[in-house]
Amino acid sequence: MDIDPKQYEQIKINDKDSHNIILSYLVHGCYKETLESLVTSTGLKVTNAQLEDMEKRKRILHSALEGNALDAIHLTEQMSPDLFENNKDLLFDLLSLHFVELICSKKQTEALNFGQAKLAPFGKVQKYVGKLEDFMGLLAYVEPEKSPMFHLLSLEYRQHVVDNLNRAILAHAYMPSFSKLERIIQQATVVRQCLSEELGKDVLSPFSLKDFLKRS
Amino acid sequence: MGGVEDNEPPSKRVKASSRELKGVSNGLKQPSTYSFGASMARPLASQGDGEIIGSKGIKKVEFVRIIAETLYSLGYSKTGACLEEESGIPFHSPAVGIFIQQILDGNWDASLTSLRKIGITDESIVKSASFIILQQKFFELLDHEKSMEALKTLRTEISPLSINSNRVRELSLFILSPKFRITGVSGQRSAKPKARSEILEELQNLLPPTVMIPDRRLLQLVEQALDLQREACVFHNSDVGETSLFTNHHCGRDQIPSQTIQILQEHQDEVWYLQFSQNGKYLASSSSDNSAIIWEVGLDGKVSLKHRLLGHQKPVSSIAWSPDDDQILTCGIEEVVRRWDVTSGECLRVYEKGLLGLISCSWSPDGKCVFSGLTDKSIIMWDMDGKEIECLKGQKTVRISDLQITSDGKFIISICKETMILLIDRESRSERCIEEEQMIVSFTLSRDNKYLLVSLVNEELHLWSIENHIQLVTKYKGHKRSRFIVRACFGGLEQAFIASGSEDSQVYIWHRGSGELIETLEGHSGAVNCTSWNPVNPHMLASASDDRSIRIWGLKQLHSKQKGKEKSTSNNGVHYCNGATV
Repeated sequence: MDIDPKQYEQIKINDKDSHNIILSYLVHGCYKETLESLVTSTGLKVTNAQLEDMEKRKRILHSALEGNALDAIHLTEQMSPDLFENNKDLLFDLLSLHFVELICSKKQTEALNFGQAKLAPFGKVQKYVGKLEDFMGLLAYVEPEKSPMFHLLSLEYRQHVVDNLNRAILAHAYMPSFSKLERIIQQATVVRQCLSEELGKDVLSPFSLKDFLKRS
Repeated sequence: MGGVEDNEPPSKRVKASSRELKGVSNGLKQPSTYSFGASMARPLASQGDGEIIGSKGIKKVEFVRIIAETLYSLGYSKTGACLEEESGIPFHSPAVGIFIQQILDGNWDASLTSLRKIGITDESIVKSASFIILQQKFFELLDHEKSMEALKTLRTEISPLSINSNRVRELSLFILSPKFRITGVSGQRSAKPKARSEILEELQNLLPPTVMIPDRRLLQLVEQALDLQREACVFHNSDVGETSLFTNHHCGRDQIPSQTIQILQEHQDEVWYLQFSQNGKYLASSSSDNSAIIWEVGLDGKVSLKHRLLGHQKPVSSIAWSPDDDQILTCGIEEVVRRWDVTSGECLRVYEKGLLGLISCSWSPDGKCVFSGLTDKSIIMWDMDGKEIECLKGQKTVRISDLQITSDGKFIISICKETMILLIDRESRSERCIEEEQMIVSFTLSRDNKYLLVSLVNEELHLWSIENHIQLVTKYKGHKRSRFIVRACFGGLEQAFIASGSEDSQVYIWHRGSGELIETLEGHSGAVNCTSWNPVNPHMLASASDDRSIRIWGLKQLHSKQKGKEKSTSNNGVHYCNGATV
């Protein structure tokens, strides 16, 4: 039971809605220059304060992604004070990024000292002990990329932490932590799932964006 | 043993020395000492080059080595060394000796080298042993605040072994902070270095026994033999009597209750059911005279009437003691269940369910709920006040009044069909069953909840294991049953025996492990319906009969002239050692 593409044509989309969706995406991803072009072309309104915030956020996220986790933390604390009070997990993840950076630069002693000073205090809470074990375990290997915890050194992991940081900062400023575009795709997927469950298994295949884009 | 005796006649000395020459292989010089005892013992038969001892293929070299090990662990190191010299059989190779000393000295790096020289072929064992040694090195470094060196050991020596990566992660955590070092009860988290002797023991257990003989191996073998002897002892019913290594363990049948000590005749009709309380202080019996009686077991072993429980309008078919023995349930057949207080004999509550009759009764292990089977084949659960908590519908029980809850509260056991027993898991509601080919008459649960004894219509008792996999373990035969319900029970020391009533008026006793029938007790003049063994006194057994009486059985007395006399009483507190004859 796949939907006939002709049914789509019945639904009219407002231009303004489309622009808003793209706007929210660009804001979420801190694409300042692109946003400025869009604003000029479409006549949408964006305040200077919003643009400044985006710039700050961009700097924070780039620092973190490039391995400068301590800078990222510092800047975040400036921009969104007490964000880390409510997001201890995030703070731990960022500190661990720095730890990983030290290990990758073969600075074991520094890494050990940093771990003892900054990460160890988290160990008082049981849920962090497992994570601590994972990170400290990297120290035990002369070639950490060959250890069972090698995924902690990867770009994907760093990207994941940075994404979380982004969402936290947005949430702290009472802005949506997911862009509208993401939400729409998420919604389509979930609706498909629900329908599938209602109608019985295997009637509908799960929503696949790729297939959808190919077909339309 | 183990000293020089200089006062023997010269001829004995000559004999001893000629014997010693036989087994010497490495050309060692004549030993200068030997013991008096050696010349009295007969030489062990050996075949060939003296390599095999006895007739079961025991290698002489191994035998001597475990004797040496025993001597060393008993602290007789001089004798141990003497044995090594005299026999020419070294306790362990010199390389192993060096290795052991290095471990005890904490000479880790050297011990790792020695490890490779002691002849272990399995590489994984070498790795595991290296791990144990290096881990100890790691902890000792940490203990001396040398974190960087400990880290180096971890990185360059332990991780490359590529085993036990979870443990490697845990170890790195220990470097991080002292507070991770001593946490919790389990030894895994604690990082205080163990004693080096403990490490040695760990290594001993890991390395193949040919390289390093396990500690106290001879003692272990002897204990195994003792266990086997005890298991084979069919009459073993007493802790009295010491274990001696000089003779095989063997109890006489005088440890089994087999003589009528007392006859209780307070019931007016057939006695159908009886059971001792868990603490062995009371006995409860029920009868077709519509009553039940609580008896008290005195300190001298004499049983006397405590309370008559009157109130039922129908024969009382079963009784259940509460888990703390304070209260008792009685079930009138297809009638009601009554709850009584044991101390006062008062009826505290009556449980009934409309027009349906109740056929069985049981307690929940916490003593707060009462279970009962109904004539409509369901099982009902009440709280103490009579409020219904739950009712398990469906064919859960039949007209026979056996219902048991395991003492851990996990399972409800009942006969759900003629040939099937149902075990219902109270939490998951899943059901397992025991299927028999013959009709089931009754069943009993062992105290450890692991076994079920099922009485069948074809005069057999089947013992089933119900712990994990349901499995038939043993069958017991010999007793007679054709028309009535006859019950069996577990009993004796560690429930090592099975007792059953029989329609030929006798009580039958089997040894549980072997299935052997060891006693038949005569005395009753009617079918014996039920037996109960005192859980606290393995020498007291009670039986209930259609002849309206209850008999208490105890140990046969020496020089007893009262055998067979009615109403004879005697002290059950006398125990006899093994081997006493009657």
